[in-house]
Amino acid sequence: MINIKEFAYTPGEHEAEKAANSYIMSVVALVGGLPLPIINLIATLAFYAGNRKGTYYVRWHCTQALLSQFSLLLMNSCGFWWTIAILFGPETITNKYIAYIFTIIIYNLIEFVATIYTAMKTGKGKHVEWWLYGNLTNLICKP
Amino acid sequence: MNRISSQLVITLVLFFAVWFALSRVDWIDVLNIEHINKTTEEKLGEFFWDIIKQTEKEIQDHDIELSIDSILSRICDSNHIEKDNITLHLVEKDEVNAFALPGNHLVLYRGLILATDDEAALCGVICHEIAHMEKNHVMKKLVKEIGLSVIISMAGGNTGSETMKEALKLLSSTAYDRNLEKEADLLAVEYLINSKVDPEPLAEFLYDISGDESSMEKRLSWISTHPASKERAEYIIDCCKGKPTEYVPILSKETWEGLRENLSTY
Repeated sequence: MINIKEFAYTPGEHEAEKAANSYIMSVVALVGGLPLPIINLIATLAFYAGNRKGTYYVRWHCTQALLSQFSLLLMNSCGFWWTIAILFGPETITNKYIAYIFTIIIYNLIEFVATIYTAMKTGKGKHVEWWLYGNLTNLICKP
Repeated sequence: MNRISSQLVITLVLFFAVWFALSRVDWIDVLNIEHINKTTEEKLGEFFWDIIKQTEKEIQDHDIELSIDSILSRICDSNHIEKDNITLHLVEKDEVNAFALPGNHLVLYRGLILATDDEAALCGVICHEIAHMEKNHVMKKLVKEIGLSVIISMAGGNTGSETMKEALKLLSSTAYDRNLEKEADLLAVEYLINSKVDPEPLAEFLYDISGDESSMEKRLSWISTHPASKERAEYIIDCCKGKPTEYVPILSKETWEGLRENLSTY
């Protein structure tokens, strides 16, 4: 799921730290804005916008962090609005709803652990590519 | 690009597979949600009934209670409904009204019983309210109108009496939405037929009173808050067509007349 690969060049210490910050940003925002699934995406987007003219290594990791937040946003938004419909609307709690909430909790936890792991590795200058997002980032982000 | 597509498909399949596998578990049972809901409903029902008791007088007459109880017993026994779960309250009020409260409290106003010329029409109204209980319409309506969070705080006793009164007003004087009303009407017809009670008097009751709505608007809460009474009467009649027509009265003519006479003295 997560591969450590060779990058096009060896990033400098400052670059590696900046790239790691893109992941830390999404984790901190995720914890801070937990009930609102959009918060972490906004934070990562802001960080991405601030670094879009950065070096290739920094841009690459900002893009991967941003893409990974999109899928979480979709999953969490569905869970969020489903919950709102139960609390204030006509929906009732069903096995499907509870199963969905558990599913997104599992995915959020996996993403959380993967993000922290990637932040640590990236900070040391290692290039970490995620399943699906790594390939997508290679497609979008060019040197 | 192909690699990305296949990885995307695998990720999506994996997500839905996890969701599907987890939804096979009966979480409602595992997490005891039904029990929590039942306790909440019971508490709410008691709260609401306490509020009604503060302003209204309950009729406590052995003969009247016995007659209504006979009707309730036939309906419940014929439809495999646990009668002991239903708490009947007869209220000394002239308003033509009947409603269900959470926790299976069935409230019947004296005015409604006196307004029904036929025992079967009264059975129809009772069946309609039982249908609301059985289909969980009461809680659905509360959740829809005031929200689950408010209901939970109500059950915990953390809500002001004004909110409780507003919620009670909602339950006793506002109709359910059209689909829920129709569902309750059709289920009531089924209950009536199973109980060997003619459903047509219910339709006639709705039809007759709908014509008087303008003159008796204030007294006819049960009718005026249930939309399009004529339309309801029509689909009830339609639903009866082709159904068995062997009907057995629940109360003797004397008992029915005695019940109405007894009630008119209050």
